[in-house]
Amino acid sequence: MTEILLSLREVSMHFGGLKALDKVSFDLCDGEILGLIGPNGAGKTTCFNTVSGVYRPTSGEIRFGGIRTDGLPPHRMAALGIGRTFQIVRPFPNLSVLDNVIVAMGLPCYRGIIPSCGSWKRQKTRDGAMELLSKVGLDLQAPQKAGLLPLGNLRRLELARALALNPRLLLLDESFSGLRHEEVAMQEELVRKTRESGISILLIEHNMRVAMGLSDRLVVLDHGLKLAEGSPDEIRKNPEVIQAYLGKEGHSNVA
Amino acid sequence: MSDYTITIGTFIAIQAIVACGLNVIVGYAGQISLGHAAFFGIGAYASALLTTAGGFSFWGALPLVLFITGFIGLVLGLPSLRLKEDFLAITTIGINFIVVSVFLYVPFFGGALGIGGIPRVILFGTRLRGTPFLFLCLAFLAAVQLVSWLFTRSWSGLACFALREDEAAASSMGVSPVRFKLAAFILGTAMAGLGGALYAHFMRFISATDFGFPMSVMILSMVVLGGMGTLWGPVLGALVLGMLPEVFRPLTEYRMFLYAALLLLMIRFQPGGLLGESSLARQIFSRLKGGEKE
Amino acid sequence: MQLFLEQMLNGLAIGAIYALITLGLALVYGILRILHVAHAAIYTVGAYVGLAIFSSTHSLALSVTGSMLFCAILGVLIERFVYYPLLKFPPYVPLIGSIACLLAIEELCRMVAGPYILSFPAELPFPSFTIGGIVISSTLSAVYGISAGVLLLLWIITTKTELGLAMRATSQDMAIASSMGINSHWIISVTFMIGSAVAAIAGILVGIYYNQVYPTMGAVPAYKTLALIVVGGLGSVPGAVLASILLGIAETLLIGYAGIPLPRDALAFIAMIAVLLWRPQGLLGGRR
Ligand SMILES: Nc1ncnc2c1ncn2[C@@H]1O[C@H](COP(=O)(O)OP(=O)(O)O)[C@@H](O)[C@H]1O
Ligand SMILES: [Mg+2]
Repeated sequence: MTEILLSLREVSMHFGGLKALDKVSFDLCDGEILGLIGPNGAGKTTCFNTVSGVYRPTSGEIRFGGIRTDGLPPHRMAALGIGRTFQIVRPFPNLSVLDNVIVAMGLPCYRGIIPSCGSWKRQKTRDGAMELLSKVGLDLQAPQKAGLLPLGNLRRLELARALALNPRLLLLDESFSGLRHEEVAMQEELVRKTRESGISILLIEHNMRVAMGLSDRLVVLDHGLKLAEGSPDEIRKNPEVIQAYLGKEGHSNVA
Repeated sequence: MSDYTITIGTFIAIQAIVACGLNVIVGYAGQISLGHAAFFGIGAYASALLTTAGGFSFWGALPLVLFITGFIGLVLGLPSLRLKEDFLAITTIGINFIVVSVFLYVPFFGGALGIGGIPRVILFGTRLRGTPFLFLCLAFLAAVQLVSWLFTRSWSGLACFALREDEAAASSMGVSPVRFKLAAFILGTAMAGLGGALYAHFMRFISATDFGFPMSVMILSMVVLGGMGTLWGPVLGALVLGMLPEVFRPLTEYRMFLYAALLLLMIRFQPGGLLGESSLARQIFSRLKGGEKE
Repeated sequence: MQLFLEQMLNGLAIGAIYALITLGLALVYGILRILHVAHAAIYTVGAYVGLAIFSSTHSLALSVTGSMLFCAILGVLIERFVYYPLLKFPPYVPLIGSIACLLAIEELCRMVAGPYILSFPAELPFPSFTIGGIVISSTLSAVYGISAGVLLLLWIITTKTELGLAMRATSQDMAIASSMGINSHWIISVTFMIGSAVAAIAGILVGIYYNQVYPTMGAVPAYKTLALIVVGGLGSVPGAVLASILLGIAETLLIGYAGIPLPRDALAFIAMIAVLLWRPQGLLGGRR
């Protein structure tokens, strides 16, 4: 039995009358890739936002690495070891690609007054950031302004930034959407490699083939409710899941 | 140098210091502030009161002045954590008006009469006036520039850049918005406080109207015109806007009009500032650089 | 009690005048999201042009129409040549442009008409009343009548006409409005014309009410009205009008009647900070 890294217990998130998450519970084990799927508006991004501290859940309990974390702000969650990407990419547009990554490398320095007065223009920091950039294949773009990159590169930049945090858990929000075919394959490879380096991954993915192919287990959300949980094979056969997808967007998405 | 030139130079140096402070808040941390003159005033009043009623020397008062201005900057910076853009812009205007009213209406601050009899700065046993005082201001300006430069190279500075660009992304990378925005406010307002202290001991008489909203606009114009978020922009802006009225001085009657019209033209045709990206200066510079390589 | 009521009526008049100025600012903010500080300069110009025409023709009707026309054109010029090209920049850029406009126009007024306070010796063709021993002078009743008329007319234009519909659509979302076939740049210009023409009326009314016209008469309203549009709810025209009237009354009662030693011109900003703490969306603003 592997250790549980992240656990959600009856987590609800309400926006006014809308129940974006309704008593959702699931666990993520250390070293696992867990897929979070569901139709548009199911509450997947909201789930990420509660885990990463953007929202304080209306009720319920979130534990990460054994500590209760619901209600902690995002920068604390980053410090605890959660790295994330955004569904709608959020680069620092006027900073260079390299500096975008260096921002994330400062994580250990942002917490104390003395370390945060240290310089970020050191060769060692730069080399570390360059190494990450070559890992995701962006080393040539390093001096460019991030705002000028095409979407595919931005998705990889977000991944590089999240990895620069040295996270224990990576949250990937539709990191594949809007990518060209060969870019998808490359991103899949990156995700696999990341897991091999010992980082657990929670990923939201719209493309069923990708989600099924990458994930060890899947959690299905619909209308804020957890519909099913299980291995890709179990999910594929689950009648309720098929129903949820058929009802919404046709069966083309169910691989 | 004539006395007159020295006086203008001293004003420009002091305003450059204040503009550098605003640049930290607006240019580096991306927090709009239209009330910076309030902190210029708080520094001036603090130093004036400490050296007249308090009996301190300029040098003894200075650390206290920086602390007081930075602390008030911290407190008045709190709205920036809750308010966004236009609300924040108007709130900072409000802060400026309220601070000026406090100076004007609270007898402790001398009311409409202001505070007079502020002693000159004494350094190595000499009272500084004229050229030596100008050099003192320039030395402080150099120090402020050094601090600004160090700030842009520090993790705190990088955290501020990240917050300016995208707050949600920055905080997902461990940057606490509260901590670093307030850090920028403290640093920026303390610089304004320094400028205020120098101003008080230069003028030796201050009154609230010196620090009204028009002064805030002037300082912001310096930062924007020079190039917001650049190291030398605020200094260049202070130099240009400080000299313009002098250049136009022979045209007494049209001086202020030409000044306003030129400000309008500059903001209209170089909205990124003289040293900002895609500015004329940058384009020429990069063309020269490109030419050398070929 | 008598004094109280008199002050109240004065406050109401001042509030009504504030409303006429603030209204243009709220309209412009609603459509362009720009803090149109130069609006106060248009109001000053309105007073000067009105006075100039009145002095040479002695016709108040000509003076008002001429001044409204002049200001409408001035407003559109500022919109076309200063704001529109600067829309894509961060908001402080058009704001500085606007402040520069304000200064330049103030200076222009001073250069043309001199730095003096001019008097505006017009009689407004409105009756004076006496109700329960309280005299409502003809100036006062003119201020009430004219501002009520202008506000009513504007309310009809913005809610009952096709133009109003187009204005609301443009302020909701310029791109969508354009895709629906609305010429949104034209609508923006019309908004500036309306706001500026109303500012001209306000300028003339203030000139007559205080019998004073001077180059910096816009300096205080320029910033006070900013506080008022926040108190009203940024972009909400009814909110701006309500806030203006309340402020006019509050200023007069608190400082004039109760004699509270508060700086009159800071009151708007104190009210603004109180409102922001208690109701950040403003009195009548929707959630943003
Ligand atoms: N900040 C918010 N305020 C109000 N409603 C929200 C907010 N964030 C998300 N929602 C709503 O919650 C529901 C779930 O959204 P989301 O989590 O983004 O779905 P998904 O990522 O699965 O497509 C949607 O109906 C969305 O409109
Ligand atoms: Mg989503």
